[in-house]
Amino acid sequence: MISNLGAVLLIVSFLTTCSTLFLYIKNNIIQKSSIYLQFFLFYKVSFYLILFSFFVLIVCFAISDFSIISVYENSHTDKPLFYKISAAWGNHEGSMLLFILVISLYGILFLLNSKNINDSLRACTIFFQSIIQLIFLSFLIFTSNPFSKIFPVPVQGLGLNPILQDPLLAIHPPFLYLGYVGFSLVFSLLLAALILKQYNSRWASIAKKWIMLPWSFLSFGIGLGSFWAYYELGWGGYWFWDPVENASLMPWIASTALIHSIVVMEKLKKLFAWTAILTILTFILSLFGTFLVRSGVLNSVHAFANDPERGVYILFIITIITLGSLIIYILKFPKESVNNNSFALFSRDFSILLNNYFLIFILTVVIVGTTYPILLSVFTGETISVGPQYYNTILAPFIFIFLILMAMGPLMKWNGNSLISIKQKIFSFFIVSIFLTILISLYLSRYNFIFLLGVLCSVYLIVSVFYEIVMSKKTFFTKQNFSRLFSHLGFGLLILAITLNHFFSKEINAKIHLGESFFKQGIKINFLKSESSKEKNFEELFGIYKITKDNKTFILKPSVRKYKQPQQFTSETSIQRDGLSDVYIAMDYAGDPSMGMGVRFYYNYFVRLIWISFALITIGGIVSFVRRGNEKTI
Amino acid sequence: MTPSRKKRLTYFLVSAVVVLILGKFIFNSLQKNTIYFFSPTDLYLNSENPKGLIRVGGLVKKGSVQENKNEATYTFVVTDLKNDIYVEYKGILPNLFQEEKGVVVEGTLKDKKFLLGKTILAKHDENYMPPEVAEALKKSGNWNKKYDQ
Repeated sequence: MISNLGAVLLIVSFLTTCSTLFLYIKNNIIQKSSIYLQFFLFYKVSFYLILFSFFVLIVCFAISDFSIISVYENSHTDKPLFYKISAAWGNHEGSMLLFILVISLYGILFLLNSKNINDSLRACTIFFQSIIQLIFLSFLIFTSNPFSKIFPVPVQGLGLNPILQDPLLAIHPPFLYLGYVGFSLVFSLLLAALILKQYNSRWASIAKKWIMLPWSFLSFGIGLGSFWAYYELGWGGYWFWDPVENASLMPWIASTALIHSIVVMEKLKKLFAWTAILTILTFILSLFGTFLVRSGVLNSVHAFANDPERGVYILFIITIITLGSLIIYILKFPKESVNNNSFALFSRDFSILLNNYFLIFILTVVIVGTTYPILLSVFTGETISVGPQYYNTILAPFIFIFLILMAMGPLMKWNGNSLISIKQKIFSFFIVSIFLTILISLYLSRYNFIFLLGVLCSVYLIVSVFYEIVMSKKTFFTKQNFSRLFSHLGFGLLILAITLNHFFSKEINAKIHLGESFFKQGIKINFLKSESSKEKNFEELFGIYKITKDNKTFILKPSVRKYKQPQQFTSETSIQRDGLSDVYIAMDYAGDPSMGMGVRFYYNYFVRLIWISFALITIGGIVSFVRRGNEKTI
Repeated sequence: MTPSRKKRLTYFLVSAVVVLILGKFIFNSLQKNTIYFFSPTDLYLNSENPKGLIRVGGLVKKGSVQENKNEATYTFVVTDLKNDIYVEYKGILPNLFQEEKGVVVEGTLKDKKFLLGKTILAKHDENYMPPEVAEALKKSGNWNKKYDQ
C-alpha cells in the first residue's frame, strides 16, 4: 500500500515541478511580472514532495516491502535495521532519488539564504534548478522508478552485497551527493546571472559561498570514501586511482580551481570568462562522474548497481545540459568584461592563474587516465587498465612545484609586480624548511631524493602557513584568510603524510599456522588462537594475533565473515593505533584453516595524518561558507 | 605588427609549445603504464610475447591449484576452456579465489604458457564474473548461461 503512495508522490512532484516551470514562464517571462511568491511556493512544495517520497522509500526498506523490485533485490529480512535503511540509497534507483532530493535541497537552501539578493536573480536561479530537477525526475520515473512493483510478491529478498554493509558506506554516498550534486546550484546561478546580465564581481561574491558548501561536502565525502576503502577492502591502501575514486576527484579539482579564480573575479574584476567555463565544467564533471559510476562502463571495486542502458540516458542528459549551458554562455556572455585581463608576473592574481593552470593539468591527467581505457575498449575492443604508476609519476613533480607556489602566492599583493618586499620571507622559509627536512631525514635515516623533495616542498607550505598564523595572531579569527590557512595547511600535511606513508610503510604477506609465529622486517607476527561466532546474517571466524614491533606489542583480531544472503566471504580488518601510524592486519580464508591462515599485514606509517588533513581541508571550506553567510551583497 | 599583436602571438606560441610538451609527457607515461588484458587463447595465438606487466583472466581450472609449502607459492591453471596457462603466484590467495570461478591475474610472462603472477584481482563478490573474463569465455565459445548473474 505504502509503495503506491511513494509512486504517486513521485508523479505529483514531477507535475509540481512542471507547473513551477510553467508558472515562471507564464507570469514572469510572458507577463513580465516581478512577483514570485507563487513560484517560490510551488518550488517549496515540490521539494517537500520529493523529501516525502524519499522518506516513503526508506519506510518501504525498513518494513521489507518485497512487492517493490528494488527492495526485493537489495534487502533481506535478516539484515539489521540500519542496513535496511541504508540499502534505500545503496542501489541505483534509490540513489537517483537521493540525487534529485539533493538538487532540490540546494534549491531550497538557496531560497532561504539569499534574501539579500534581488528577487529576479533568485527566481531565475530557481527556474534553472527546477529544469535540472525535472530532467532527473523524468529520468527516474521513466527509466529507474524506485517504486516499481514485482508480482507475485516474493517472500524473501536477495540481500545486499556484504561489502556495502558498513556504517561508513551508509553515510558516504549522501555526503558525496551533497558535494557534487550541490554544484548544480552554482551552475543555475551562473546561467541566471548570464541571462539577467548580472554576471559581474558581485555575482562572484554571492556564488563563492555556493561553491564552498558543496566543495566542503565533497572533500569530506572523498575522505570518507578513502577511509572506507582503507579499512574495508583490506588492501592496506587508502587511494587506488580506481575510476570511481577519480570520478569524485575530477569535480573536486575543477571546483578547487573555481574557488581560486572566483576570488580574482570578485576582487579584481578579471577572469570572467574563465570562471564561467570552470563553473560549467565543474557541474558537467559531476554529471560525468555519475555517468561513470551508474552506467556500468567501469570495471572497478564499485561495479555494483549499474546498468549500461541507463548510461545512454545519462550521457544524453549530459549532452543536453552541456550544449544548453554553452549556448547560453556564448549568446549572453558580457563582452565588455573581457578587456581587463592583464596579469603582472609577480602578483597574487597571476599566482592564482598559475594555480589554475596546474589544476587543469592535473585534471587532464586524471581525465585521460580514467577515460582512455573506456574509449579504447569502445573503439577497438581492447581491454586495458592504467596502472597507478601513471598518476604517481606524472603528478608527483607537478604537485611539488604546486606546493611551493601555494606558499608563495598568498605572500604577494593583488595587482602587485615585485618580489622585493617578499624576497626575504621566501628565502627564510627555505632556510627553515631545509633545516626541518634535514632533521626529519636524519631522524628517519632516509636520503632518497624524491623523499627529500616531497618533504621539503610540503614542509615549505606548512612553514609559510604557520608564519602567517603567528604574524596575524590578533586578527586571526576575524580575517577572511582564516579558511584558506586551514585548507592550505591541510593540503601541505596531506602531501607530507602521503610522502611519509609511501616511503615508510611495510607490507608482509604470510601464511601462519595456529600457535606459530612469523618474523620479517623487524616485525613479529604471532598467531595466538582462533575463535568463531554466529550472528544473525553471517558466521564469523576470528584470528587473534600478537604483533611485536620495536618492543611494542599489539593484539589484533581480524576476521573472515561468511554471509548467508547473498553467500559471500569478506575479510574484516583489524587496526590498532601506533602514534599517527597504524598496525593493520587482514586475514584471508582460502580453503582449509588447519593448513594455516593467510594474513596480510601492513604497517601504515603516518596514515592518520592523512585523515587529519582531510578534516582540515574540509573545515577550511566550512569556515568560509559560514563566514560568508552574513554578508550584505546586492 | 603592432606590439599587442606581437605579444599575443608570442603568448600563443609559448602556450602551444607547453601544451605539446605536456601532452607528449602524458602520452608517454600512459604508454608506459598501460596494462593489457589477454585471455589464454590470445596469448596462444600471439606470435610475439607481450613484455612487461599484463593481465590474464579466465576460470581457475578444477583440481589445478597446488601449494608449495616451503616457498609459500601456489601454482594453478587459468583457462578459457580452449587454451590454458600456468600461473605461479607467491603470496596469499584472496577469499574469493576458488576453483571454477573467474579470476584475473596480473603479472609478467615467463613464456607463452607460464605467467609469474604478482597480484590476484578478486575484489568482487563470488558470483561476479569480471567483464574481461566473460568476454574471453564468449570468444572461446565456452560461455555458459550459469555465469550470467
